[in-house]
Amino acid sequence: MSSTPAAAAASGASTDIAAVANSPILWIFALGVFAVIFVQTAIYMKAARTAGTSVGLDNRDLTRALRSGAISSVGPSLAVVIVAIALLALFGTPAVLVRIGLIGSVSTEVASATIASGALGADLGGPDYTQTVYAVAFIAMSLSGGAWMLATLLLTPIMKRGGNKLAEVNPAAMALIPGAALLGAFSTLTVAELPKSGLGAITVAVSTFVMAGLLFAAKKLNAGWLKEWALGISIIVALTFAYFAHTATVA
Amino acid sequence: MTSTITDSPAGMQAFERTTSRWGRLTMLAGLIISLAGPLYVALFMDVGVTVAHIVTAYTAVAATFLVFAVVEPVTYFPILGQAAMYQAFMIGNISNKLLPAAICAQSRIDAKPGSKQGDLAAVMGICGAAIVHLTSLLVFVGIFGTWLLSAIPESVTEVARMYILPAIVGAVLVQAIASVNQLRPTLISLAAAVVVVFAVIPAVPALTHFGTALGVVATVLVSWFARKRAC
Repeated sequence: MSSTPAAAAASGASTDIAAVANSPILWIFALGVFAVIFVQTAIYMKAARTAGTSVGLDNRDLTRALRSGAISSVGPSLAVVIVAIALLALFGTPAVLVRIGLIGSVSTEVASATIASGALGADLGGPDYTQTVYAVAFIAMSLSGGAWMLATLLLTPIMKRGGNKLAEVNPAAMALIPGAALLGAFSTLTVAELPKSGLGAITVAVSTFVMAGLLFAAKKLNAGWLKEWALGISIIVALTFAYFAHTATVA
Repeated sequence: MTSTITDSPAGMQAFERTTSRWGRLTMLAGLIISLAGPLYVALFMDVGVTVAHIVTAYTAVAATFLVFAVVEPVTYFPILGQAAMYQAFMIGNISNKLLPAAICAQSRIDAKPGSKQGDLAAVMGICGAAIVHLTSLLVFVGIFGTWLLSAIPESVTEVARMYILPAIVGAVLVQAIASVNQLRPTLISLAAAVVVVFAVIPAVPALTHFGTALGVVATVLVSWFARKRAC
């Protein structure tokens, strides 16, 4: 491996990333991933609607569930969009759509690309970030992200069998584990944000209190629709607070 | 609408069969197509990539991330269930978008996480999130991305990057507590999180990225041994 990727006239030595990164063929593969997810979503929705009646959920319940998921993901989706746009110059639109927007997440993919570029002796986005480095970073990110999918494909059936066996031997455990795992995950994710920055900790508190208030109101007023909007409102209020507090303290 | 855990009725068995077959097939297709793009660049676009480059770069990345590719699916399986696993790990953005959407959907129709109703609500919630997410990505990044790049002030991008997670997790935790509605596991999870974040990780920095997994395992184990027993 050459430590000087910018060596004269070698193929891939150009730093014109967009020429490679926005090529039509990459667009086709990116749209292919979108198409696969749309197909999966359609199959899952149909399967859930078919199964609903057997467990006492009618179409109205399931539509409410669908709408709640859609509304509550508007805020997070727009946040991903804003961060993704900022990375367009580094990776080109197709790679950003697939790696940042879909399969991966901002922090993991940027870290992967930084590590991969570093392994070739280049800085991500620096003067020696050539087409070669971009291509290698893109492959490394994709292989790394692929490992999550491969692990999911291999481990899910095994864990499913384990779960079924546990449910037979010990139904009490299966009644307890999903809720406890959920609480454990979000308690840790929440507490982990507290020591990162003072304003971050206050933002967590704002988000927490707004949600608590909204859930309380939804219960008192018996307003189911409010539960649909609760997460979206909490995120917007907390982010707006963070924006003004951040710009006020930095400026 | 009830949220009791019952024996699997025929309708749910058909759901499990359909989603495990098509979930796996679509995920495999997603895996192959997502690798095809970069491989095409490397093999056919004359950008000077060698096998040695790829091995060097991937080894460095795998040294950091390979273990999480195994730990994360194991961590989230008890929460997501089989069907949603094939959605979540293809669509990505799990803790900041898909799990919140699933919990919101369960809370909307008062279904308990882990129950049959909860599984269906989670799948529908994730479907709703997927539709919004794919559409907003296609429109705002795919079509208008380059234009928006110059239109969005840097301060907005910075705040979105730094504070989106704090803005989400607090609210989702409240929703999760309300939806599980069991005092002991709630208190145990909070105590476990404080111990993991403020004692275990500062003492053993190598565990930094394992925080969530540690929190989940500790909460499940302690909740099990401290459960109310029907003597």
